[in-house]
Amino acid sequence: MALLELKNVSKIYGDLKALNDVSISVEKGEWVAIMGPSGSGKSTMMNIIGCMDKPSVGEVLLDGVDISKEPQKVLTDIRREKIGLIFQQFHMVTYLTAVENVMVSQYYHSMPDEAEALEALDRVGLKERAKHLPGQLSGGEQQRVCVARALINHPELILADEPTGNLDETNENIVLDLFRQLHREGTTLIVVTHDPEVAEAAQRTIVLEHGRVAREIINENFEA
Amino acid sequence: MTKRRMFLRMITASLLRRRSRMLIALLSIAVGATILSGLVTIYIDVPRQMGAQFRSYGANMILLPKEGTHMTAESLQEVLGVIPEAEIVGASPYRYVRLDMPSRQQSFITAGTEFSQVQKTSPYFSVEGAYPEKTREVLVGKEIAETLGIKTGSSIELHYKTSGTAGQGQAADAAAGETLTGSAEGFNKVIVTADLVLDEEGKIASVSVDAASQTPGIGSLVGTDRQFLDQFIGKKLPLSLSNTASGEDAADEDHVVDAVTGATISSQAAVDAMNNAVLSGEAAPVERAEQFTVTGILSTGGEEEGYVYMSLPDLEKLTADNAVDVAELSVTADAEVLEEYCRAVSEANPDVTARLVKRVTRSEASVLGKLQALVFLVTVVVLLLTMICVSTTMLAVVSERRREIGLRKALGAADNSIRKEFLGEGLFLGGLGGLIGAALGFGFAQVVSVNVFGSSISFQPLLLPVTVLVSMVIAAVSCQMPIKRAVAIDPAIVLKGE
Ligand SMILES: Nc1ncnc2c1ncn2[C@@H]1O[C@H](COP(=O)(O)OP(=O)(O)OP(=O)(O)O)[C@@H](O)[C@H]1O
Ligand SMILES: [Mg+2]
Repeated sequence: MALLELKNVSKIYGDLKALNDVSISVEKGEWVAIMGPSGSGKSTMMNIIGCMDKPSVGEVLLDGVDISKEPQKVLTDIRREKIGLIFQQFHMVTYLTAVENVMVSQYYHSMPDEAEALEALDRVGLKERAKHLPGQLSGGEQQRVCVARALINHPELILADEPTGNLDETNENIVLDLFRQLHREGTTLIVVTHDPEVAEAAQRTIVLEHGRVAREIINENFEA
Repeated sequence: MTKRRMFLRMITASLLRRRSRMLIALLSIAVGATILSGLVTIYIDVPRQMGAQFRSYGANMILLPKEGTHMTAESLQEVLGVIPEAEIVGASPYRYVRLDMPSRQQSFITAGTEFSQVQKTSPYFSVEGAYPEKTREVLVGKEIAETLGIKTGSSIELHYKTSGTAGQGQAADAAAGETLTGSAEGFNKVIVTADLVLDEEGKIASVSVDAASQTPGIGSLVGTDRQFLDQFIGKKLPLSLSNTASGEDAADEDHVVDAVTGATISSQAAVDAMNNAVLSGEAAPVERAEQFTVTGILSTGGEEEGYVYMSLPDLEKLTADNAVDVAELSVTADAEVLEEYCRAVSEANPDVTARLVKRVTRSEASVLGKLQALVFLVTVVVLLLTMICVSTTMLAVVSERRREIGLRKALGAADNSIRKEFLGEGLFLGGLGGLIGAALGFGFAQVVSVNVFGSSISFQPLLLPVTVLVSMVIAAVSCQMPIKRAVAIDPAIVLKGE
């Protein structure tokens, strides 16, 4: 059964159809890349999948639940329980240390556990920087903290909106390696990217153009 | 780590690591709390102090002689014996007399009193210069000083005059031991004079008559006839002759004498002269004068500024009596006990009436009422301003932290979590600000109290938790608008990279 299914989803802002009759489906454990030119509706789609926005038309089934019909409160619960988010601009709470930022995610999910948070930071290679504030970390390091934060609660689905957009080669590879690990652990990954290299790391690439699905590319060379 | 510890860690980190904004909010709460606790301290403590001042230093009882009687310093002292000495803060006797200042053709009411007591019963007396300490020193009311240009150190001469209508008895007292001279028309309208001396009881002690002008051998006998003259000794004035007396006078042996046989007219003249001697002695206006040094100018804002004050003994020297018109008392006791003292005073001396002075208590109440209303108003205004300031600061904080709030929501924070976090920060700020404010407020109240009221303030232990609590409530209320804003923030802004 598909973990995520979008059925004829449109998002309309006045005259503009940011998403125009989009239907896609993502299997559990699948790694999907989403590409497309600027303004094609990628972030709009991620917002809807991430339970932060509702479609104007259509159904969005996440684990069999139509999240387009649920109230805000339930959406928050679903987001907290099932989804890990990674953003292009490494959003961190500026006055909390790296480990505390990871713990914030635990705090809203269940129980803050410093040891577990440190373990997650270790996984992204940042155990040494755990006590640093975001201002003391580089962009790549901040993004790795955000990855650690996204995976700390073991979400079923990780949504990443241009996770490598601001990273250099080395950091990009570190993040991609983390995605590979998560994929091997069975986590479903949806990654928005402009970078063909990042897209090639995924099993499948969905290309959006003017709010529509232009084409889908299966990555023949995918290696887990 | 528990959720609560993480919660505390987050809000303290927010306050400690993002200092600038929060410092402003903290500062405004601390200032508000300072003024709140300071003013409330004054509000609570000052009435207590002022009340104590009014009660312990202001006159709250007056003693008056019943009509037709008079009080003296001695009888006053006696009456005061019924009130426990420890409770009498001050007792000022007052004797009011009009004295003249002929050099300026002015006359003023002059009060004789005890200055050491006045300072206790009338603490509002403000003296420029000093209270008199020696004899022949006076305090002059500001009004007099200004109109006459009298200054501290000036010398003034004051005169005491009787109008000449003083009662017989009093004048007779005054004349005791002195030689009095009188005259009257005798035979052929020629003057007969008589000298006489009265004893303390008003009885004639010795007498001599000069009747040489009368018919020799007949009328002149009035001045030489021992039998005639000796009968006057022990008699009282006014005198009359037995043969001319009415029945009533005839019965009064103290006043009746027999005439020299055959010289009725001359005898009558001698008797008249004696009567006149005493009467004219009594009727003659008395005038006594004294030179005084002004030691101070008195301002009270009241009618006292038109008076001259001198010591009771100084005034007694001028008036030659020791009467006291009124005494002002300051007694530390509450109304019921005071009433009891009033009754006790009347019992001890039926000629003295004691009355409670209501004026002081009433003005005390109205002054305090106004003061408290003012303090209340200022407190409310300050709290409102604090709320506005905290609210504005927190609103700025929320918009500054939009992304962070969006992020928290994106990470799964429910609206209630966001509410709790901001409220937590607000309460923390309120508590800390309240604590600082309570401490500063006590200092502030102390400074105000010492400078304005001249007395230090006692610490009100209850005020600490109350200030902290009120500050927390104020902070919580001020946070409501900002919290609404925070909750309304859309988590999607995070993905949009705003
Ligand atoms: N809240 C909004 N109100 C109006 N228009 C919006 C809103 N959000 C997005 N849009 C519009 O919808 C379209 C799709 O936007 P979206 O952010 O999904 O693009 P994107 O594919 O993520 O582009 P990029 O690669 O630049 O991030 C854009 O034309 C954008 O202007
Ligand atoms: Mg985008």
